[in-house]
Amino acid sequence: MSIRGLKGGFLNFLSEDDLDAIHFATLEILSEIGIKMEHEPALEIFSSSGAKVDYKNSIVKIDEQLLNKALLSAPSRFTLHGKNEDFDVKVDTERVYTIGGSSALNVLDLDGNYRPALFDDLIKFTILLDRLQHLHIMHAIVIPSDLEEYGVDRMLFAGTFPYTSRNYYSQSQTGADGVLEQIKLAAVLQGSEEAVRKNPMFTEVVCMVSPLQHEKVNSEVLIEAAKNNIPVYVEVDAMLGGTTPAPVAGTLVEQNANVLAGIVLAQLVNPGTPCIYSIASGLMDMSTGGYSGAAPETNLLHCATAQVAHYYNLPFQGGTGIDAKIPDAQAGYERAMQVLSNALAGTNFIHLSFGMMEMMLTASYEQCVIDNEIMGAAFKMLEGVAVNDETLSVDLLRKVGPKSAHFLTFKETSEYVRKHYWVPKITDRNVHSSWKAMGAKSMRDVAADEVRKILSENNMPFISAEQTKEITDMAKAFHKKALEKLKAN
Amino acid sequence: MASDDIYKQLYENVLNGDFEQTGELANKALENNIDPMDAINSYLVPAIELVGERFGKKEYFLPDLMRSANAMKNALEVFEKDIREKGVERKSSGKVVIGTVKGDIHEIGKSIVASLLTAKGFTVTDLGVDVESEVFINKIVEEGAEILAMSALLPITMPYQGKVIEDLKARGLRDKIKIMVGGSPVTQEHAERIGADGYADDAVEAVKLAERLMKS
Ligand code: B12
Repeated sequence: MSIRGLKGGFLNFLSEDDLDAIHFATLEILSEIGIKMEHEPALEIFSSSGAKVDYKNSIVKIDEQLLNKALLSAPSRFTLHGKNEDFDVKVDTERVYTIGGSSALNVLDLDGNYRPALFDDLIKFTILLDRLQHLHIMHAIVIPSDLEEYGVDRMLFAGTFPYTSRNYYSQSQTGADGVLEQIKLAAVLQGSEEAVRKNPMFTEVVCMVSPLQHEKVNSEVLIEAAKNNIPVYVEVDAMLGGTTPAPVAGTLVEQNANVLAGIVLAQLVNPGTPCIYSIASGLMDMSTGGYSGAAPETNLLHCATAQVAHYYNLPFQGGTGIDAKIPDAQAGYERAMQVLSNALAGTNFIHLSFGMMEMMLTASYEQCVIDNEIMGAAFKMLEGVAVNDETLSVDLLRKVGPKSAHFLTFKETSEYVRKHYWVPKITDRNVHSSWKAMGAKSMRDVAADEVRKILSENNMPFISAEQTKEITDMAKAFHKKALEKLKAN
Repeated sequence: MASDDIYKQLYENVLNGDFEQTGELANKALENNIDPMDAINSYLVPAIELVGERFGKKEYFLPDLMRSANAMKNALEVFEKDIREKGVERKSSGKVVIGTVKGDIHEIGKSIVASLLTAKGFTVTDLGVDVESEVFINKIVEEGAEILAMSALLPITMPYQGKVIEDLKARGLRDKIKIMVGGSPVTQEHAERIGADGYADDAVEAVKLAERLMKS
């Protein structure tokens, strides 16, 4: 059985007219202003597909016809493969899933220390996250400070891919070579590079730059991933008011032009390449200039972008880190508003949704467990209210009648509760005296206990120790090679 | 326009961030024989200080700050040229060369620091992003800069701040310049390790640091 997410899409901030207006504005941008693409081969691909290309200024202009043609081949349904069928994720434009990660520099550890992340943290976090019920896609949550940065994506692969049952969200820092080497790493487990290309257990992400620019490395990764049938998250990280216009609508237009241009490129390279319309945009805090992932404006933007992506029948990744520094009330409220609004809006992948704090700079072990709890509650609400003869319960009400009574002894109640009520794992619903008797623990304390418990039970049935070692050794060699190449230049 | 009106207009332009016409206005001021030193000290500086104060109180926001800094810069350029031509040297708070280092295209933080420095009377040359060591060094020499400010937002590009410092040493220029570094992953320890003179974690602190470095 694969993972099947619940359906979202109840929350609509944009009307059909609004969506059309955003679409037309985007067409104007794409066909008249264009996108700057630094990667020469990308310009050539566009040029030979009939797009207007200004080589001198590296500008690509995409008209309506080309856009429509390319979007026609972008699938709205596909599978992201886990280590076995149970963890396959069935993607479409309705179901809601979550993604962990990513790229935090610091760790808030169980002893309350705030310190640079280590490779050992990456493995521990991955093992922890893999045991959390509501995490569907795994992304490396930290960038270890004890490794050289250039080409570190190979080591992120080694510290994440072997330790998770989920589909792995990868990235390549150095370009096409990273994608090809990661295919080799996955092949250790999947048997052959051919098998990886057929059913890849990992994906790539590329981040476009606002306003309206595609950097060289990202286009290179995008093209290589498409060639090899590796699904791509085509992402833009707009800063509302900073790198994109201050109004949500203007940012929607910029994001849309930027992301669609990337998706068109992937489709031109290899029609049918699974692409996920992705953002990790946030509000620019206008007092500090900092990035706010948890501002209400950010949530509005992400919910509205879900509608824009779905307008093109593309699955959508939204969500981002929160701003709180420790697992406190701010963390709870920020995460809850973000996850609930995105789930209701039908964000198909809620990204960076476990443990990511301090504007994407810090990962907290305890917050991972707390976020899993928040996610559980949010997903419960996605189930909505079922109305049918059984749930209307007229017969039951008739049986009990207007008298002092309760429903606890009925079979209907017992069955319904067991099947449908959400069972909190770390939320406390006791009265004060019982809570005190159990140690008067804060949610953070309870989460810490849970982290310790999970980390002591580490088991990974989906991979052998030999395979893990082989992947790790290969990744180290690839990393070394990348560093040597860098030094040679 | 009478002198008083021009003064008032300059003050208003900086306060309201109407930077487009400020340079022109400054030229008009000179035509009217306004004393540029007086214009700067009695009108431009008080206006930008008020902007800073309102920013601190969250009445004004970054766009206001950046626009006012631009207005200040446009007027200062005109006035300072005139002052130089008359052979008087107005004391700039200091000459700064700033940029985000090679391999890194994170621009926003660096630009905010540059604006605030300008607003505080520093003469700032902003080299943009993805800046090579050579380019930094050539500009420092050309401008006779007193402070080099380098931004890096990626752990992968942080060591490049150290490389620029090494290159300055190799050219025998290290002692002639104060160096400050910043960007979200940058720490005090990193600054010390690579031999920078200072680190600050936001733009307001960066300005204070620059002022301290100029005194040291
Ligand atoms: C916006 C953003 C981008 C935008 C930048 C747009 C632009 N035009 O600048 C885009 C989308 C282009 C981008 C790209 C990438 N990004 Co980015 N980005 C960010 C983000 C969200 C905000 C950065 C920002 O502008 N902050 C606001 C400003 C005001 O803050 P600041 O820069 O820190 O500056 C303040 C201080 O640091 C200080 N300061 C700054 N400079 C200086 C200099 C001196 C001398 C002094 C004294 C002080 C000082 O004062 C400033 C004002 O207070 C950060 C997350 C974060 N919270 O930092 C990630 C982040 C920095 N990015 C990250 C990554 C990974 C990338 C990419 C590699 C992604 C990719 N796979 O393509 C690329 C790198 C491209 C490259 N070669 O540089 C990571 C880095 C972590 C890591 N381990 O490497 C971060 C931390 C996010 C994350 N967790 O994933 N990014």
